[in-house]
Amino acid sequence: MTAKRIVALLLALVMCFALVACGDNGGTPVTSGDSNTPANVPADNNGGETPADEEETPAGMVDTGESYIYKDSVSTLASNWNPHTYQTTDDAYLQGYIDDSLYSLIFNDENHPVEGKETFDGYTIVPAMAAEMPVDVTEEIKAEYPQFGIPDSATSSYAWKVKLRDDLQWDDGTPITANDFVESFKRLLDPKLLNFRAADYSQGSYVVVNAENYAFQGSSTFVAGGMTSSELLASGLTEDEIYIDLANFWGITYDDGTTYGCITDDTMIRDPAVEEGQPEDYVSPKYLWDNYFAPGMPYEAYATDYVGTLKTYDDNYDFSNVGLLATDDNSLIFVYKNALEGFYLTTYGMSTSWLVKTDLYDDCLVESESAAGTVYSSTYFTGVDTTASYGPYVLSDYQMDKSLHLVKNPNWAGWNYEWINYVHPDDGETYQMYETTEIDCQVVEEATTRKQMFLAGQLMGYGLQAEDFDQYINSDYCYKTPAETIFFLLFNGYEDVINQREAAADFDATTHDLQMQMLNTFRRACAVAIDREDLAATCSPSRQGGYGFLGQTYIYDPETCAYYRDTDPAKRALCAFYSVNVDDFGGDLDAAVASITGYDAETAKELFQEAYEEGIELGYITDNNGDGVSDQEVNMVYALSAESELYDKLIAYFTESFDKATEGTGLYQKIRITKSAPLGNGWSDGIRNGLYDTQLAGWSGATLDPFSMADTWTRTDAAYWGQWWDANAHNMTVNINGKDLTMSIRAFAECLNGTMKTVDGVDYNFGYGQIDTDTRLEILAAIEQEMLLSYNCVPIMQDAGASLLSQQVYNVVEDYNPMMGRGGIAYMRYNYTEDEWNEYVASQGGTLQY
Amino acid sequence: MVKYALQRTFYMIIVFLIITLMCFVLIRMLPQPILPPEDPHTKVIELRREALGYNEPYLVQFALFVKNVVTKFDWGLSEKLYFGQDVWSIFIQKLPASMIINLYSIILSIPIGIAFGIFAALKKNTWVDYTISTLTMVVISVPSFVYAFLIQYIFCYKLGWFPFLMKSGTDWFSWPMFVSMIPAVMSLSFGVIAGFTRTTRAELTEVLTSEFMLLARTKGLTKTQATVRHALRNCFVVIVPGIFGEFIGILGGSLIIERIFSVPGVGGLTLNAINGLDYNIFILSTCFYTAIGLAASIVVDISYGFIDPRIRMGSKK
Repeated sequence: MTAKRIVALLLALVMCFALVACGDNGGTPVTSGDSNTPANVPADNNGGETPADEEETPAGMVDTGESYIYKDSVSTLASNWNPHTYQTTDDAYLQGYIDDSLYSLIFNDENHPVEGKETFDGYTIVPAMAAEMPVDVTEEIKAEYPQFGIPDSATSSYAWKVKLRDDLQWDDGTPITANDFVESFKRLLDPKLLNFRAADYSQGSYVVVNAENYAFQGSSTFVAGGMTSSELLASGLTEDEIYIDLANFWGITYDDGTTYGCITDDTMIRDPAVEEGQPEDYVSPKYLWDNYFAPGMPYEAYATDYVGTLKTYDDNYDFSNVGLLATDDNSLIFVYKNALEGFYLTTYGMSTSWLVKTDLYDDCLVESESAAGTVYSSTYFTGVDTTASYGPYVLSDYQMDKSLHLVKNPNWAGWNYEWINYVHPDDGETYQMYETTEIDCQVVEEATTRKQMFLAGQLMGYGLQAEDFDQYINSDYCYKTPAETIFFLLFNGYEDVINQREAAADFDATTHDLQMQMLNTFRRACAVAIDREDLAATCSPSRQGGYGFLGQTYIYDPETCAYYRDTDPAKRALCAFYSVNVDDFGGDLDAAVASITGYDAETAKELFQEAYEEGIELGYITDNNGDGVSDQEVNMVYALSAESELYDKLIAYFTESFDKATEGTGLYQKIRITKSAPLGNGWSDGIRNGLYDTQLAGWSGATLDPFSMADTWTRTDAAYWGQWWDANAHNMTVNINGKDLTMSIRAFAECLNGTMKTVDGVDYNFGYGQIDTDTRLEILAAIEQEMLLSYNCVPIMQDAGASLLSQQVYNVVEDYNPMMGRGGIAYMRYNYTEDEWNEYVASQGGTLQY
Repeated sequence: MVKYALQRTFYMIIVFLIITLMCFVLIRMLPQPILPPEDPHTKVIELRREALGYNEPYLVQFALFVKNVVTKFDWGLSEKLYFGQDVWSIFIQKLPASMIINLYSIILSIPIGIAFGIFAALKKNTWVDYTISTLTMVVISVPSFVYAFLIQYIFCYKLGWFPFLMKSGTDWFSWPMFVSMIPAVMSLSFGVIAGFTRTTRAELTEVLTSEFMLLARTKGLTKTQATVRHALRNCFVVIVPGIFGEFIGILGGSLIIERIFSVPGVGGLTLNAINGLDYNIFILSTCFYTAIGLAASIVVDISYGFIDPRIRMGSKK
């Protein structure tokens, strides 16, 4: 009996652990090389000498014999840094460490001066894997390769020849030739692999000619027509050729997953968002066309985005038609769909981050069977054994979701680059870049753990959290990094909706008001009632006051690292908005701009009183008891995305500022900001639809193209105020080459971004390369000024982050550069070796003071 | 008994398949995010979704899934979180860390918990009992991650006795690895110790007041003999299944503790797979936990029969 019980128990226990044991590929949780051995060292039976076996340091690499380990942390560790498939910024962590580029940006040190710039105040483009700057070969390629379709009229900037260095190699010593680039590109675009990054070459300004046709051969895709329905029909298209983007317009797809449908198709598709039996629980493309998009229907205008044609890519497209050629081992030719030159060509157009070690890449391809057939994936760049480096570091150790370790790559050709040694701006000595000998990165998800590790000297950096600001924001080791976004305080001007909200049954108009915020005087008063620098210091100390629509980080000319905010037109726009008379500063525009605080308590008081009187006159508010103070509270509802301490602080600060500024006026203590319920991402639609009144919102992006931001400000579908303030209806005048030109603000913005506009029979296009940059700056500044004066919002705060840097290291460059940062690991130098550092930390009792 | 175990195993397989089918269909019914039309990557993602068979009927997808698992033990490739990598391999890589941390925790906490429980029961209604019981209640009431932060702050940061994070590597049984695991093990152990202390004290207290204990003492056994030979064996009817349950749980990991001490375990894998719509990882981890849970219930049921002969498995009487 007992034996039976034991057998039964054992059986049950075996079941528990059976799943663990039945895998045949477990037990190799870490892919690891020797701690100081580069990845992909060939097996020792190949008869060749491995890099790690080489005793001599390559000619260019400086080896002091000291250990300098950069100790980093991340919340999420990359699981796949395959340059063909990576999708997130986490996955891009290793880029820059294990790869290289044809051309690099370096700081302008003494050896690489840039005219008009102090050393280390700008940057310059230098050849890296390329031996020299690219040569324009448009004419030759046009004649020799007609399949690339270079326009007959084009004489330059479409085809470029790059000569490669002859010492390029992988970390295992395998040479890199021009053909490796071509083969890598072919694999990137391989239609059966469906690589995520293949799409980088199908749209935009840096498209390699015919790359899209090769990558998507044999498939079809919907292309928005950019025309209204009437225009589409008038263009000669038949109804059979017109399609609707079902997924994005109506949120439905066919059963087979197709996301678009022909407008003649009456197949009914179930809309899961509508309850069965309710109207439009089933819709067809034909129904949507007939009831929404057809000429005269309410959504005809939106056809520009959701109605278009089907683009079909040919089968069996030949890669020889793709615009990347290797003419010999060291020569590459790039052919682009659009003309490309200068900074954008070398920095973006010739980004070759897709270079892969093709033999290893092919070995890593995995075929699997899906319900639809065969699908391909790759394990390339998912561990030490599958990662090949051609950059300054090489992966030596990796544990999934835990850590990775990099060591210097002695076989990097870059150790012999001409610019690898730079002149230190302080001591004048020459140093080699990349003093860091090893990089150790750990997953540390909790901020408190990161902070403790940093204070114990175990991490190089720590991003300050809100609760840290009081203690560390003024530390000598604290670095503020400005971001693109300017946060501005929005005002609701959607009169119809405001009136509806006031008419609602639960709104007491005798005690509350929503209409005052529509008054320009009221908004101007609010604008000057807020001390921006004090607000930033109080509520979000890493940030600073914001004054214009564009912040400090926008570069209008990346060739010279010229900032928009430093230009005279931009400065004049600020002076105009803040009513600063430059003549009061002896004509010194810089001094005039420096005087701007945006805060004027006296003017605010006068404007609030003026607004009060205007409000009484318009009947927005009343003073029935005659005490000179409004009977109503002006109530602005803050569209909350989520509850946060920052919002609470901001609202408290605004309220306090308004109370202070309204003292002695008819609005004293009558301006109140109340929080909405948390709206998530719905807050922006709430603002656009006038259902909520205010938010501290902003836009980010386009650091190198401030001109494109003008498009965002003036688009009715993008701007927060698009429903009640139409930039098409507001004109402005700009002097263009001595002649005044008057157009709508929107027309100027479109024209600035390359759209042709005709005024009085004259065509105007102020896009990139169409007109001189100074004129473009004048137009952009004029648009910014007009937008500021519209008072749909007022700039309040410049976004920024703050972090502490370990005492063990320092950045050669203190000031942040939007393109270069502070130089990253290339320009980082060490105050202590590892041994010295450990001693120093111990001498401080194990906890450092910052 | 064997017949009973086999019968239970058969039922387990049926239940396992039903749960797997439900999970498979439900996770695949979650809508894929609508892709921005202007993003050039949209086209690639759509093509890949199609190639992966997402647009095929669910039953077709499930049939292929079962076929691959049964014939090739192929659980598929990760489609999002660990793109292109074999999900079984990922799971197996992450399992040892969770298992070892939890194993150490159990080895440490079960004897301590039972010992405290026995001690408190034997010293019932004395200050010792009150102290142990009060501490037990406090520890049970506070979540384990609170201890984790306290342990990390005191032992790792202030005293510097242990590293902040679990050591990298797979030398699971090396001394440096063991030392690096101690903070995580301590954090996991407090709750288990308290749980066993409370259970043991309650059961033993009840048994010690039983009439058969009086009989045992009357026939001449010492208090120790009576307690060890009779009282403990009886209260273990409740405690031992708990121990089995803990052992089964060691495979599960602990999301929060793993986060805090950077343990590369399976704790957050299922959650991340759902959030990331990584179907194959989700299905594998769901199948795994389902199988573990079902097996655990059989083990616990059978274990009763060993501890208390009065409980007979599979008996119809």
